[in-house]
Amino acid sequence: MAVFDTPQAAFGALRPACVQLTRAQTVENVRRLQAHLGAVSGAALQELQEYVLFPLRFGLRVPGPKQERLVQSLVQCISSVLAATCVRKRELLRELFSELCTCLAPPAGSGTPAPLSEELKLAVIQALHTLLHSAYGDVILALYQPAALPLLGFAVSLLLGLAEQERAKQIKISALECLQVLVLQCDCQEHRHLDEDEAQQCGDLFASFLPGISIALSRVITGDIKQGHKTTISAIRLFYLLIGLVMADAQLAKIPKSKEKLPVEQSRISELMVHRGPDWSKSTAEKLSLLLHKVVESSSIHPHWKVRLELVELVHHLMRNCSQSLVDSFSHLLKALVGLVNDENSQVQNRCHEVLRGIAEQRLVAHNRALADVLSENLHSLSTALPRLMNSQDDTGKVSTLSLLLGYLKLLGPKINMVLTSVSHLQRLSRALVQVLELDVTDVKIVEERRWGPPGSLQHRGRPHRKYFRFFTEEKVFQLLQQVCRVLGYYGNLYLLVDHFMGLYRESGLYRKQAAMVLNELLTGAAGLGVDVLQEREVPPSVDDLRGSITSILDEYTDQANWYLVTGTDAEGASPEPSEPRLGLAARVGAPSSSVLLPSPEPPGTTRAMNSNIWQICIQLEGIGCFATVLGREFRLLLLSALYPVLEKAGDRTLLVSETALATLADVCEACGYDSVQRLINENSDYLVNGISLNLRQLAHQPHASQVLDTMLRHSDASLLPLVEDVIQDVLSALDQSYNNQASTFLRVLHSVMTALVQWFGMPSAEEHQQRWTDRGQSGARSQGQHEVTVTKQEVERFFLDYVSQKQIAEGDLPDTGEEEADEVPSLAQAEPNNCDTDGEAALPSHAQLARDVMERCLHLLSDGSLRVRLKVLDVLELCVTVLHPHGNHLLPMAHRVWPALVTRLISDDPLAVLRAFKVLCTLAQTCGDFLRQRFSKDVLPKLTSSLLSQAPASARAGPVYSHTLAFKLQLAVLQGLGSLCERLDMGESDLNKVADACLIYLSARQPVKLQEAAQSVFLHLLQVDPDSTWLFLSEVWCPERHEPPHGSLRPVRLRGMGRPRNELTHNVLLLLHRLRLQEGTAPGTTSQQASPC
Amino acid sequence: METREVAITIKCGNFHPPLSKCQERRSENGLIHVWNLKTHRVDTALDGHGRRSVYCVETMGGRDRLLSPTVALVPVHLFSVKVQVLELPSKTSVCTLKPEMGAKLGMPMCLKLWQLSCGSQPLLLAGYEDGSVVLWSVTMGKVLSQLVCHQEPVMSLDFDSEKAKGISGSSEKVLCIWSLNEQQNLQVDKTHELVNAGISGIAIRPDKRILATAGWDHRIRIFGWKKLKPLAVLDYHTATVHCVSFSDHRSAPERLLAAGSRDHRISVWSVYTQT
Repeated sequence: MAVFDTPQAAFGALRPACVQLTRAQTVENVRRLQAHLGAVSGAALQELQEYVLFPLRFGLRVPGPKQERLVQSLVQCISSVLAATCVRKRELLRELFSELCTCLAPPAGSGTPAPLSEELKLAVIQALHTLLHSAYGDVILALYQPAALPLLGFAVSLLLGLAEQERAKQIKISALECLQVLVLQCDCQEHRHLDEDEAQQCGDLFASFLPGISIALSRVITGDIKQGHKTTISAIRLFYLLIGLVMADAQLAKIPKSKEKLPVEQSRISELMVHRGPDWSKSTAEKLSLLLHKVVESSSIHPHWKVRLELVELVHHLMRNCSQSLVDSFSHLLKALVGLVNDENSQVQNRCHEVLRGIAEQRLVAHNRALADVLSENLHSLSTALPRLMNSQDDTGKVSTLSLLLGYLKLLGPKINMVLTSVSHLQRLSRALVQVLELDVTDVKIVEERRWGPPGSLQHRGRPHRKYFRFFTEEKVFQLLQQVCRVLGYYGNLYLLVDHFMGLYRESGLYRKQAAMVLNELLTGAAGLGVDVLQEREVPPSVDDLRGSITSILDEYTDQANWYLVTGTDAEGASPEPSEPRLGLAARVGAPSSSVLLPSPEPPGTTRAMNSNIWQICIQLEGIGCFATVLGREFRLLLLSALYPVLEKAGDRTLLVSETALATLADVCEACGYDSVQRLINENSDYLVNGISLNLRQLAHQPHASQVLDTMLRHSDASLLPLVEDVIQDVLSALDQSYNNQASTFLRVLHSVMTALVQWFGMPSAEEHQQRWTDRGQSGARSQGQHEVTVTKQEVERFFLDYVSQKQIAEGDLPDTGEEEADEVPSLAQAEPNNCDTDGEAALPSHAQLARDVMERCLHLLSDGSLRVRLKVLDVLELCVTVLHPHGNHLLPMAHRVWPALVTRLISDDPLAVLRAFKVLCTLAQTCGDFLRQRFSKDVLPKLTSSLLSQAPASARAGPVYSHTLAFKLQLAVLQGLGSLCERLDMGESDLNKVADACLIYLSARQPVKLQEAAQSVFLHLLQVDPDSTWLFLSEVWCPERHEPPHGSLRPVRLRGMGRPRNELTHNVLLLLHRLRLQEGTAPGTTSQQASPC
Repeated sequence: METREVAITIKCGNFHPPLSKCQERRSENGLIHVWNLKTHRVDTALDGHGRRSVYCVETMGGRDRLLSPTVALVPVHLFSVKVQVLELPSKTSVCTLKPEMGAKLGMPMCLKLWQLSCGSQPLLLAGYEDGSVVLWSVTMGKVLSQLVCHQEPVMSLDFDSEKAKGISGSSEKVLCIWSLNEQQNLQVDKTHELVNAGISGIAIRPDKRILATAGWDHRIRIFGWKKLKPLAVLDYHTATVHCVSFSDHRSAPERLLAAGSRDHRISVWSVYTQT
């Protein structure tokens, strides 16, 4: 079809259709006209606009009932004309507007909308929409004259009716959109921008509709969810746009005091007009507040996120435009906004954050006292309800409640202080926090988990223990609470807050842990660490302020009553024997440092009370870590008072406490700028040493002082020794004064001192020393075993000669000495340098000196009444011996003094003690070989062998459980150690025979395998010491082969073990003989026959 | 730093404003250590004596070293019988106080410089090796009064210029209290018997209520100054206590007592009682 560009051509084309339509109003004719319209260009149609519209309008105006389909097609046709043209005449606009509205008008007299088809309604709405968009320039304002008010009102009520009562979504949405255009708030950009006066005028006009529109809309918004989210969104948008326009602060400010008088002819209309004076705005705001509350309530929990997003926009718009007029509604609005901060949808979240930040940046709250009042009122009521809510709500509910609280605080920003200075506000808030943060202290594991042994064996290292709260389990809730406290600390008056929470801390044991937690977070927040805020505070607190607060909190934390709490039933030394835990407990409860001094919520001594105490200590420790982070390097000044308590707790027996203390130590270390904990300790050792030496003077604090020393030693290296030497001497002298009651405490320290010394100094020198001993052993005259292996005939001859000469010397027949000396000199020369630099009296290094001092104390304690103490002493003793290894001149006298007590332990003590004592003996033997030989063979060996012999039948009979018994362990230890003992002590032949006799039964196949192996090891050692006699001994037991003499003149060898039947010993004996042969096989030119004695 | 012997004299001073609390300690290796009581660490070590023994240290009376030129530092030359008075800060020698020929006073052991009132002439009390206490007029350079109050060398003395009463200690078992009458004559008031012999340091607290002694028995004793009533025995050190000194903090609770001992330690005590 051709396009008609010129009006003439178009006219020619359209005229017949128009004429026909004028004559007969049928759907057919309208269709024809519409078909022609499609071929006419916009410009041409503009010229013919009124001409074309005439038959259409005429069709609508014809009186009498009309066919709905006709009306619909007419309206659609008008709409298409209008879409292509614009309305330039005010009259035309007004007429068209009213004509279109009439189409939907209900029959006269009835209040209900006309029962029209949905298509028609939609068509009319769309036509209206198009009409409003086609109005050219100022023309649109024709509708917004006071005179047009009735018409406008009619349209508004029509559209509202549709929006509210129609069922079809499409109509609802269109009606709402149309209404939005009608109130000049269209979303599209084509509209002319109204200047201020015009806007003001429109505002006046719309004020009349405000009640109707807002009520109807609120009904739509809170209506059935099934109406679809789009309807709700449009309604919300219209709602806030209209309110924002009518209630705009800028407009209300310009309203004159009295109502303007309109010309007389418009007096009726002027009755309809509303004067937006202060009274009106106040009452309207009140009513709106109710509506807003309803709207916010329903849409903030709307399942569709776009609705919630729109709600955010609503708050944003109203907050921006009506911050004064609608101040009463803000509590609802802010609540909604703040609540949506943690929406599940990220878009809503982000927008919410943006809006909040916008509000904060505009300092709306800071500059608007009313708003701040609203917020603080909200805060107050929320914190009143908080404990109840925390009790009743589930975790999700708690999260939303707390995010609300957090949001209020963030919005208040620097205005928080206004709230905090009110006593009731602060009290409610703090009570709420303290109640919510109540810990769950029923876990028994916390109390039971103990730190055993060195830190290396810790299994749970590095994983901070989670706190369990009574009222919530989700981590998110705790994070929110943390943020709440930090925000408080960030904006709030630090002194005020610290004072208040310190008051709570002191007030009752019930609040103590929570108050401490809050304090820690407050300080963190005050320093601006880990806090997420909407606006910067004006003046951050000075370092001096922070330090002042921290110092006072630290003092309180580390106060005796709050620091030394009962954390376990077996606190060191309290219960000497495991069989008497009740007694130990009773003793602890009565101890001066226990929590009986405090109003504790639990009876002291129960698991709950101890769990609670443990947590309190941990929280306080965490606090110290926080404070260090807050102050950074400035914390160094506080190390004087803080480091000692932390180290004390690092040595605590409760696993959780010591782990937390170590974490704190790491925090402090980092904050103060030390590379490692070790450096932290070394560089501040003067503080620690001072504390230790002072506390050692008070009996009650001795255990703590020793813990500190213990921790220092564990975490440092040899460079610490010169710094703590002094104080170790103090410990020793303190021990001297209280052997009876504090021995086990001090032994722990001595043990750690010695462990440290062994670790720092012991190892290399011990190896070196061992080397020396082997050297000496090899060059010594008595140790022939090694030499014998490589004997040649000449050497046998020389041995014989030597033997003769030795014998002569022994008989007092001294030969010429010259030769002797020549032999001895090299070995002496070798030994001397060692002797000189390590064994000289003056040159004894400090660590060895210490070891000697410690060993001296051990002498006294070896025969202590308590088994536990004796065991510990034996351990310490062993370490002392290890450290003193290289200093034989000092070790030997000490060994001499230790010997009697040690023998008693070996011979007549609890098997446990025997076991340890035997270990000490083995260690001692490594050093003082020949020194011990005589004593050993005289005092100990008979007892050992007899006990081995007497135990053997028992172990041979025993079942698999036997390997868990103490007797078995003792047997095993003795068998394992005996061999090397014999070798090191260089035992004489008769002793060796005794050992061999005692061990022989353990070669029996009936013995437990481990014992067999141990017994084998004894024989292997014996093979080293004296292969010949051992060979003989074994061969006497069982001899697998015949030994032919090499020459006929020699008598045949007859051994008792020959030709015997296999027995229980056979297997192991064979094995040993095989090993012996292998050993000799490595030495060239030797045979067993040659070595065997004749 | 090799320290053969430390802590012979301790002086608590408040003189350096930024440090607010300070303490000086001298040692036989010739270093003067300034300890900060806040950090418990050495702030500075002054080496002005060529690493030779420092025998005594005196801080300036005023709060600021530079503004108090009227106070003099009194050095004692070891093994000489003279006392030299120097003026600070010019460090010029004002006079040399030398006992008359024939007077066998021996070496001056301890000194106390004081003024009766502001503007009056400074007087010097010196305790000598032979057990006598001598009052010198610094301006005239002559002996005003002499009192033999001990059989052994006077180890230390302190003087209360308000009551015109002084106290001195020696290696004997007594403390000797003497007073100065209007004619500027020294006379023995009374003696106080001690439990253990040997006093190496005496200090009267600036408020003149109590005094502390440093004993050879490793203990510090506190007495009331008025009647010499024993108040406390402070037991900490493990060797002879050399000297004691009170700090001059303005507020009473902050006042501290420091004592130096041969055991290489300085103990700092708070002896204030809240009554």
